[in-house]
Amino acid sequence: MTKKIFRSVFFVAVLMLLICFALVMWAFYAYFNSVQKEQLKTEIELVARAVEKDGMSYLVSLDTGESRITWIAADGSVLYDSENDPQSMENHSQREEIREAFETGNGESSRYSSTLTEKTVYYAQLLSDGTVIRVSVSNASILFLVLGMLRYIIIIFALALIISVIIADRVSKKIVAPLNSINLDMPLEVNSYDEISPLLTRIEEQRRQIELQVSELEERKKEFYAIIKNMNEGLVLVGKDGKILSINYAAAAFFSTNTECVGSDFLTVERNPAIEKTLKTAQESGHGEMQISRNGKEYQLNASRIEVDAQSSDIVILIFDISDRVFAERNRREFTANVSHELKTPLHSIMGSAELLENNMVKPEDIPRFVSNIRVEASRLLTLIEDIIRLSFLDENTEIPMEDVDLYELVISETKVLSPLAKEKNITLTSEGEKTVINGNKRLLHEIIYNLCDNAIKYNIDGGSVKIKVYKEENNAVLIVSDTGIGIPPEDHQRVFDRFYCVDKSHSKKTGGTGLGLSIVKHAVQCMGGKISLDSYPGKGTTITVIFKLVKDAAE
Amino acid sequence: MRNRFDEQLAALNRELIRMGALCEEAIAMASKALVDGDIKLSNRVVAVDSEIDEMEREIESLCLKLLLQQQPVARDLRQISAALKMITDMERIGDQAADIAEIIGFLGGRTGEDCEYIRLMAQSAIKMVTESVEAYVKKDVAAAETAIKHDDIVDDYFYKVKTSLIQMVAKQPDDGEYALDLLMIAKYFERIADHAVNIAEWVIFSVTGVHKGEDI
Repeated sequence: MTKKIFRSVFFVAVLMLLICFALVMWAFYAYFNSVQKEQLKTEIELVARAVEKDGMSYLVSLDTGESRITWIAADGSVLYDSENDPQSMENHSQREEIREAFETGNGESSRYSSTLTEKTVYYAQLLSDGTVIRVSVSNASILFLVLGMLRYIIIIFALALIISVIIADRVSKKIVAPLNSINLDMPLEVNSYDEISPLLTRIEEQRRQIELQVSELEERKKEFYAIIKNMNEGLVLVGKDGKILSINYAAAAFFSTNTECVGSDFLTVERNPAIEKTLKTAQESGHGEMQISRNGKEYQLNASRIEVDAQSSDIVILIFDISDRVFAERNRREFTANVSHELKTPLHSIMGSAELLENNMVKPEDIPRFVSNIRVEASRLLTLIEDIIRLSFLDENTEIPMEDVDLYELVISETKVLSPLAKEKNITLTSEGEKTVINGNKRLLHEIIYNLCDNAIKYNIDGGSVKIKVYKEENNAVLIVSDTGIGIPPEDHQRVFDRFYCVDKSHSKKTGGTGLGLSIVKHAVQCMGGKISLDSYPGKGTTITVIFKLVKDAAE
Repeated sequence: MRNRFDEQLAALNRELIRMGALCEEAIAMASKALVDGDIKLSNRVVAVDSEIDEMEREIESLCLKLLLQQQPVARDLRQISAALKMITDMERIGDQAADIAEIIGFLGGRTGEDCEYIRLMAQSAIKMVTESVEAYVKKDVAAAETAIKHDDIVDDYFYKVKTSLIQMVAKQPDDGEYALDLLMIAKYFERIADHAVNIAEWVIFSVTGVHKGEDI
């Protein structure tokens, strides 16, 4: 724009200069000509009068100076010429000015020389004797004049050009400066030309709109990335060339790398052939999945091809932690296997005894022992099945009717029920406490206390003791069952609440445990919103603490 | 032209990583088969080994093609020549894993449990292979040096395995064959560790141009 303005200004300046020059030249020349003509007229009048008076003698004596004087006879022959020999000159009667003079008394004409460098102006006047006197002046033509002045013209021209260049440059810069200084972010801030203010207003409007949209997009992008980055599932985006396009924290942790690996080859991050195979499957068939255990956890890898367009087909890998599901599945399988095994053992025993009896292979005195064996095993089976039913009832987690129950009262009644068993094992069973009312289900509470005390008696040493304590603590009711029994090794603390888990298989068979007792207790406690904890060392006994919420009204 | 060369180099890099991963898998499988006495798993090691052999040929021809067609210089030349050397070591690792798997078949279902050190030795050897491949992947000289240092641990375990096997034979002369099989397995693990050291040394060469402390 600056250039264009500069060019136009410069062009106008040059053009005006040329026009002015031409006009001035023309005006001067015209003026000069008219002055010369006047002079010539005066001169010819003077000469005419003198010639009429003195004739040839005047002419001969006259110093003609610059002008040339010719005297022509009426027939056109030259009588005198101030420059040439009149004899050698041709007849002048056909010359324009002469002819005119013969006809009207005065004549004038102008002719250019053959080289155009000179212009000759002629004036002729008819004398009274019929002859014509002619005065002519030669002077340089306008072209010659111009050529003669060329040096000055060029100098003036050059000076003018330089000045106009400088001015044009300044002017164009000055015109453009406000445009250049427009701040496109704040177009309305600087007051510039009125002509462009609608444009600027529009720009400002659009700028605001764009800004709004960009910030909105940015916000959404940020949200999206925040979600992706921090979600628990791992997410990796692998380009067609095998380069990582994006990876989130979870995935980076899975591949034990950091999020700076973006842009590098996926193989440099993970080279497990199985995972690579899954990616290949995804690349070819659109989807691939696999399970892999890593860092002690089970993961599921889902790889899917995403086709943005025909050329690029990136692969997105999702990594889930499915440890819980896998472990739950494993537990269920173990449970089923355990249940079948536990149910089978007593049945085998019953079958064996019954077969022996059926085939009369038992001595008569041994029959009661075998029959009692069948009964014992059958009752064991029954207990087991009852336990399983109870457990599945708790598993169902159906609405349990809740009522206010005095925990201590229940403990006392349980101790009464269990005291024969304790006596049998030579164990002292003591209970202490106060009235503690909680909101619970009587049957479940009975299960809890019974199973805990039963365990405490069963897994005890000869002459040991079991202490049951009930007390209030702030808003909680606490039930503690402690024994002096064999205890549980620390590594089994987690698992004793699992179904069918017994610390010592052989021992449990001897004591008749099913391995379901503590599992039932745990479930029952959880059903009533309580907490259970275990504190035990092998050989030192076990203390199980159960905490329930106290009923407020009763506590006061 | 240059772009194509870079692409080919990247492809070579990927293939080498794949081959390294296969070696890791083969030796891990052999070790697991030994610990669990799993003959089925040991048979699969042989399949992986033949896959490794095939990869060696592929990478070899790729390297030769690059050398002939692109006439690489300096760093690129180092990378390609180091690759040529490394695949030989990787191929040997695969072979030795297959050899171990073969011996496991002779053990007759017995595991390496009678010799605790052999299990630890296998673990160390696997770790070394992983470290040297990792060093290649990351072009990490320090990691390669660590892998080289760990060779002493494996050598130490080999000595311990040998001593414990001698004691075992002295106690139970009937187990002589079993002990010898275990000794051979241990020797193979020791060789695998040596190959891992070689790989690590070539990694250092491809990065720094210095092999075993000598400028070549």
